[in-house]
Amino acid sequence: MSGTEEENAAELKIGDEFLKAKCLMNCEVALTLEHKYEQLQKMSDDTTISHVFEKSLQYVKRFSRYKNRDGVRQVREILSRYPLAEFELCILGNLCPETVEEGVVLVPSFKNRLEEEAIQKILTDLSLIKKFQ
Amino acid sequence: MFYHISLEHEIELHPRYFGPQLLETVKRKLFTEVEGTCTGEYGFVVAVTTIDHIGNGLIQYNTGFAVYKIKYRAIVFRPFKGEVLDGVVTQVNKVGIFTEIGPLSCFISRHSIPEDIKFDSTTDPHCYKTVDEAIIIQQEDTLRLKIVGLRIDATDIFAIGTLMDDYLGLN
Repeated sequence: MSGTEEENAAELKIGDEFLKAKCLMNCEVALTLEHKYEQLQKMSDDTTISHVFEKSLQYVKRFSRYKNRDGVRQVREILSRYPLAEFELCILGNLCPETVEEGVVLVPSFKNRLEEEAIQKILTDLSLIKKFQ
Repeated sequence: MFYHISLEHEIELHPRYFGPQLLETVKRKLFTEVEGTCTGEYGFVVAVTTIDHIGNGLIQYNTGFAVYKIKYRAIVFRPFKGEVLDGVVTQVNKVGIFTEIGPLSCFISRHSIPEDIKFDSTTDPHCYKTVDEAIIIQQEDTLRLKIVGLRIDATDIFAIGTLMDDYLGLN
């Protein structure tokens, strides 16, 4: 593929199509895939579940930070209030950095764009949701 | 990272399916043909969520097959260079650590593992560890890694990762 050389998630260069696409946090994927998995189980005929599906389901179950539907919705709602790209929003939701420094390392595109206090506020909001879920 | 994106696919339908269950067959065929596949551009197609539009079937004059253009939305997993992700260790040996991030395999060469974390073949299972054993990396452990490179095949994507940055490693 031609564009590979220019791709760099650290600078938010992930191609227009993916930048505009809706990113999903692991916990959101878990809700959708679990629902689909149950449906597939109900259909008794010879529906096979793909290797990719199985691996993904296992993965998102293990790495879901927010387990219940309300928590998941809240995270997206609260993070949407900040000037974040979809991609950044989901990285925060997935990796849950604890300090501002860690946040900037994990989401380098924050650098020079968001003030330290702004990042701190986002992280505090996130940790609160986690505590009260 | 997982994305929810719109995609298109063409289904070719054999004339023996022309009948009352036709659209059902088209849908089922879409699921089996796209779910679980992988392309360099869109990554791994994990699951189709909705079918937005099924075009009119166009009969091919030479085969009699009907071709349907379908617009659908799907959950895909597409890794990018520079992305930080959590992975699960599947194998450890002297050349490095093999991990899985959902459907994606990611290899971390021993040159991309901090120098104080060394390979140890005397333990069972084998591991990478520091001398004081404060850090021990072995099978089934969770690692936070950064993707530094991707190799994209026609039907698969492989990633190369590193642990050489702040806040990466065991968590």
